[in-house]
Amino acid sequence: MDSLKGMDSLKTMWAAVPPATPQELAGARRRLLDGTRPRRRLVTVPRLLAAAGAAAAVAVAPLVIGNDTPAYAVAKGSDGTLTVTVNELRDPDGLEAKLSASGVKSDVTFLTAGQGCAAPRFAGVDATYGGSPVAGSEGLRELVNGSRSSKAAQVTSVRTIRISPEYIKPGETLVLEFRDNGNAQIPWRLGGWLAQADTPVQPCTIVEDAG
Amino acid sequence: MTISREVIEVDDATLIERSLNEPEIFAVLFDRHAPLLHRYVTRRLGPSEAEDVVADTFLAAFQRRGDYDRGRSDARPWLYGIASNLIGKRRRTETNLYRAYIRSGVHPAEIPGRQLEDGVNTLAVNRPLARALLGLARADRDVLLLVAWAELSYQEVADALAIPPGTVASRLNRARLQIRQALSQEERGE
Repeated sequence: MDSLKGMDSLKTMWAAVPPATPQELAGARRRLLDGTRPRRRLVTVPRLLAAAGAAAAVAVAPLVIGNDTPAYAVAKGSDGTLTVTVNELRDPDGLEAKLSASGVKSDVTFLTAGQGCAAPRFAGVDATYGGSPVAGSEGLRELVNGSRSSKAAQVTSVRTIRISPEYIKPGETLVLEFRDNGNAQIPWRLGGWLAQADTPVQPCTIVEDAG
Repeated sequence: MTISREVIEVDDATLIERSLNEPEIFAVLFDRHAPLLHRYVTRRLGPSEAEDVVADTFLAAFQRRGDYDRGRSDARPWLYGIASNLIGKRRRTETNLYRAYIRSGVHPAEIPGRQLEDGVNTLAVNRPLARALLGLARADRDVLLLVAWAELSYQEVADALAIPPGTVASRLNRARLQIRQALSQEERGE
C-alpha cells in the first residue's frame, strides 16, 4: 500500500465537518470579550509612580519652588533632561506650552482627587498603558522599570518629575495625568506614558476612580 | 472600539502585540482563527464541547499574550497547542466519539448531505481510521491530527506542543504506521 494513502484518507476523514459559523461562535466570542475586560481591581501604573514619589520624598531636601510661575516650572539640565516642578495642579495648557518650547510634545491633564481619565485615550508604545493585567506590585514594577514610558518620565521627588527626551521618539506624545492626592506631603500622583508616534490622544473623559 | 481595516490586515504577532494596549483587538485574532479551530476541535470531540474548548483556548491565550513570541507571525501553533492541552483533558469525550462513530457510522457534526454521496466507501475507510485513532497513544494522536486535520507543518507542531522536531517525526511515523496497518487489515477483510 502506498505509504501516503493512510495520511490522505485521514485528511479527508470527517472533512464534511464544516468550519464554525459566526452564530456557532457567538457564545465563545462573547466570553472572550468579557474576559478582555478585567473585573478584578488592577494595580495601576499611577499608583506605583506615586509610591516612587513617596519613597523619594524621604530623601529629598525641601522643595525649590519655580520662580517663573507659581504653579509649575520647567528647567533644562546640561544632560538634556527636563526637570518639571509641579506645585499646583493649575493651567495644564501652560505646562504643555512650556514643554513644547523645550521640544517635548505633551498632553497634560490635571485631575482632582478621586478622578481618573477613562482609558484608553490613546495607543501606548508599551504595555504600561492599557496593557494586560499584572498580578501584584512585583509584576507591575518589572513592567514599569523595563518600559520606555517610565524612562521618559520619572517621578524624582514629591513635586518633580524628570523628562528624558532621549527615550521619546519623533512624533510620540508624552501623556501626563496628574491627580491631586489630597495630601500636602505627597501632593499629586502621576501617570506618565508615551502615545504612539503621530497617533491622536483623545481628551480626558473624567470618570470616578478612587484608585 | 472600532477595529480598523489596517488591524485586519496585519499578521498575528502584530495583533497580539497591539492587544497588549488595546485588549479588544484580540477579537480580531478570534475571528481569524476560531472558525477552523472550532472545526478541528469538533472533529475530535464532537460539537457539544467544541464551543467551550474554543472559548477556553482564546481566554487562556489572551491571559498569556504578554509571553507570546513575537518572532512567530502565525499564531496557529500557539493556539492549537493550547487547544491540544484542553482536548487532552477531555480524552474520554474523544474516545467516546470514535466509539460511537464505529457503531453508528455518523459523526455528530457532519453535514448529512455530503456524506451520502459516497457514504459507503467513506465509511469503509473511516471506520478503521476511527478504530486506529482510538488505539493511538494520546501524544501520538495529537501530533498526527495536528498534521492531518489542522494542517500544521512539523515545525509548527513542534512549536505547538513544545517538543523537539525529532520527536514530532518519530511520533508521526509511529502513528502513521498504525493507521496504515488498520487500513490494510480492513482491505484484507480482517
